[in-house]
Amino acid sequence: MSARRRWIALVAGTLAAASVAGASAAPAVRFDRNIKVGVVDTYSGPPAVFGNDALNGFRLALQEINRDGVHGARIEFVTRDEKFNPEIGLSMARELVLQERVDVLVGTINSATALAISAFAREQRVPFLVWISKSEAITGARGHRYVFSTTENTAMAGKALAEAMVRRGYTRFWLAAEDYEYGHAVTNSFWRFVKRLKPEAELVNQTWWRTGEPDLVPYLTQILQARPQAAFFGTGGAGMANVMRTMQVIGFAQRVPSAIHTAIDVTVLRPLGTAAPEGVFGTTDYLYYYPDTPANRKFVQDFQAAFGGPPGFPAFHGYITGHFIAEAFRRARSLDRERFVEALEGLRIQTPVGEVEMRACDHQAVLPMIFGVTRRDPRFPHLVAGDPTVIPGANVMPTCEDIRRARERAR
Amino acid sequence: MVSRWRWLALALGGLAVAPVVLPPFFVYLVALVLVTGLLATSLNLVLGYGGLYQFHHGVFYGIGAYTVAVGITRLGWPAWLAFLLGPVAAAAAGWVIGFFCVRLSRLYFGMLQLSLGSFVWIVALRWYPVTGGDNGIHGIPLPAPLQTLAGAYGLVAAVVLVSLGILWAVVRSPFGLTLQAIRDNPQRSEVMGVPVRLHQLAAMVLAAFFAGVAGVLYVVLERSVFPSMLFWVLSLEILVMCLLGGWFTFSGPLVGAVVMVGLRTLVGRYTEYWTLVVGVLLILLIFFLPEGIMGWLQQRRAALQAPSVRPAAAGDVRG
Amino acid sequence: MDAAAILGQLLVGLGRSMILFIVSAGLSLVLGVLRVPNVFHGSLYMLGAFVAWTVAEALGPHPAGLWLALATAPLVTAAVGLVVERLLLSRLYQREHLMLILFTFGVMLVLNDVVKLLWGPTYRSLVPPPSLQGAATVLGVALPKYNVVLLLAGPVVAAALWLFTQRTRAGKVSRAAATDRDMVAVLGVDVSRVFGLAFALGCFLAGLGGALVAPTTSITLGMDHSLLIDSFLIVIVGGLGNLWGALVGSLLFGVTQSLGLLVWPQFAVAFPYAVTAAVLLVRPTGLLRSAW
Repeated sequence: MSARRRWIALVAGTLAAASVAGASAAPAVRFDRNIKVGVVDTYSGPPAVFGNDALNGFRLALQEINRDGVHGARIEFVTRDEKFNPEIGLSMARELVLQERVDVLVGTINSATALAISAFAREQRVPFLVWISKSEAITGARGHRYVFSTTENTAMAGKALAEAMVRRGYTRFWLAAEDYEYGHAVTNSFWRFVKRLKPEAELVNQTWWRTGEPDLVPYLTQILQARPQAAFFGTGGAGMANVMRTMQVIGFAQRVPSAIHTAIDVTVLRPLGTAAPEGVFGTTDYLYYYPDTPANRKFVQDFQAAFGGPPGFPAFHGYITGHFIAEAFRRARSLDRERFVEALEGLRIQTPVGEVEMRACDHQAVLPMIFGVTRRDPRFPHLVAGDPTVIPGANVMPTCEDIRRARERAR
Repeated sequence: MVSRWRWLALALGGLAVAPVVLPPFFVYLVALVLVTGLLATSLNLVLGYGGLYQFHHGVFYGIGAYTVAVGITRLGWPAWLAFLLGPVAAAAAGWVIGFFCVRLSRLYFGMLQLSLGSFVWIVALRWYPVTGGDNGIHGIPLPAPLQTLAGAYGLVAAVVLVSLGILWAVVRSPFGLTLQAIRDNPQRSEVMGVPVRLHQLAAMVLAAFFAGVAGVLYVVLERSVFPSMLFWVLSLEILVMCLLGGWFTFSGPLVGAVVMVGLRTLVGRYTEYWTLVVGVLLILLIFFLPEGIMGWLQQRRAALQAPSVRPAAAGDVRG
Repeated sequence: MDAAAILGQLLVGLGRSMILFIVSAGLSLVLGVLRVPNVFHGSLYMLGAFVAWTVAEALGPHPAGLWLALATAPLVTAAVGLVVERLLLSRLYQREHLMLILFTFGVMLVLNDVVKLLWGPTYRSLVPPPSLQGAATVLGVALPKYNVVLLLAGPVVAAALWLFTQRTRAGKVSRAAATDRDMVAVLGVDVSRVFGLAFALGCFLAGLGGALVAPTTSITLGMDHSLLIDSFLIVIVGGLGNLWGALVGSLLFGVTQSLGLLVWPQFAVAFPYAVTAAVLLVRPTGLLRSAW
């Protein structure tokens, strides 16, 4: 309980400091209307699990924010279901901007949708915060003034995993991935960093399967036969569950050390129960049980009380997205979109995993990565991350110079 | 006849004032309805008038759109050239797919087309460096006049109206009448020395061309292309539009497009179960309104007036 | 590349082919007899997987859970199919064919949302009984023990279908109806009942395929999407309405993919499609004689 109080005091302190700073600098502002956020995400189909989790985190943040409001205004939101289809997502975003006149767009799980909406947001000059989609192109090569990311991306995940695998001495890799935007992005990023760290690293071969491939046994047995030193898998969502199950069935990870981004993630391991393989190396940027800090404990308790289950990484992203939006409007002291964008650049807020900065040069939240290996733990109904270590966000982020070059190349 | 002209004048007037009086989102929606309506009408040329089971019409729509997108962003074509080549590419694809399909029986025609179309879809979905894979291509740079909603709307409305006019003329032309005769009785047409396959193939190429035009206009409106434009679900949705509006009438597919786009926008806003709504609607339609909205209106009008002397009334056509 | 690797990979591909065969045989049967490409066939496959999961979950770790699930799921989908056919589809037989196809599309839209209403969007996993967990090493390839079930199920279903079409009256009638339904009707057979039976059987096979695949994959909404297109291609390549064509098409599909992995893993995904495209361009009516 004392931890909880300390956290509240911390938040209150920050807010008080912010408002005092604001008050001393200029007369108090009052917004003449509420802030309206338009959420486009998948609420039907398998990825709805992630979409709903993110929305719950966002709801929790709004409960906290709307208790005191932002310059007298509340943050409201409307949701639209994009059905994991970028075409529908784009038309929903259009409706939210042109018809609902939202101040800020938020979404999505689908990287393809995020990129489509991002192009539209740029054209319409509407801020767009991406909270689950991990393609590094969003804030990298195809980033612009109006798009922000509150989620870790494939560049960060690829670098964290590449470092961990190279440190373990592996040099002969097999790359296997799902043939879609995220699969390509995370696999390319991993291999780029492996080659940068160890130029002599050898690519034994690579396999690509289509999204929704029901049976991965042929793919995995083929890799087993080729006996690479290690394997990297670029897959997410339902495909992730399939890889993990197939690994468990044929005992893959015991024979070929494997790395997968999100392998240690709760959203992946919880639905699998005990049917998940041990010994898979993985990364994620949020775990509800680690690090066991007062701030994290408080967030998990509140979330559990509100929604009856522990938060996954999308919930964490939804939660910090809400607070980033509120804090940026507080700083902007205006409902103007340009002022909001400027206030959000370089903004630092307190989160359940500590202070997080929205980097000004690429609009990417600097989130720490957790590295670990899947392991059974009798205290949990699902596998957990064994030997977890936290890698500070600054260590895995591409440099501002990298970003500038990537954007130039894209042009 | 008088009432038809009055309706046409009303529609033209409505389209002309729409960008001035409507809020931007509805201007966009009207343009989207026009694009979808042209797509459905082009399908109906082969489906309703040609009696062919064109199961994967979306492919030609997608090819038109992807030609523009790839041409502008990857090959550096000038936009206007890309706009012209889009429908041409779609027509070429229509000829290739038609070449293999027209000699087959009706259902087989549809099934083979579904399969061949799926290959095109898979290419669009997989050929990352060119098509952008599952991302599609976004933020396609267009000439300055088309970058505003009003400009895009103007081009869309003008091209759709001209295209519909051409399709209308085609349906009334000797070619169109022969096509309908083939639909009603292929054996008799064959015996009479009509080159049946050639007519059907020509209709397919023409329909594919105008689907390509619709695809180009989609890019003008959205400045994006998506692989889902080539997915079989979209093709079935266009079929549903034709059915809903009435596939033995010229204006039916347009009416179907209005209803479907409207439904998707309105129902999709309030419930995530909108496919359920569409499914139930479709089943009800098949049982209670098989001639579609316009077909039903036409029948009622015919029933009110004296016994009709129109040839091939909607109900006579059976496969 | 050694012979053992090829044989092993072949074995793995065969398991996949068997699922494809069972599902596309159902599709082909309905196509042959009713001349309806049943668009909601994929939805029934998905429904079968979800029902199997529910049954297995209800019995907990009991070893009979899986077997009971495999028995129940196809019966449920057959019942769903039969109800839809008797109540609705059978009233449309006199109508334009397009209406029948669009009707099945409508049912697909409804069924998919019903599955979502009942089970929600979460992934499900069906854990096979301990005796079928893990892998056995065959010819140097780690082959999941469960694959044995798949490898046995295919031939069993094929044999059962052969017996049905060749040895039972209903089967003979449906075979005759596939070739010339008017003639069958003239001979005084109640064609409608034959249609109902064939349709239910087709739906049974869709559900069986879904139940069989359940322990090997995550059970989710949308698992029907790529499968439906694959089975349409298989049915076309094999020859519409020809059950053995479905078998040939499935083997072609499953085996080219797993062998493609040995040759060119990066593009193995495209192999089955390239092969089917080649076949169709040479023989647009499929490899074996089409029932129509």
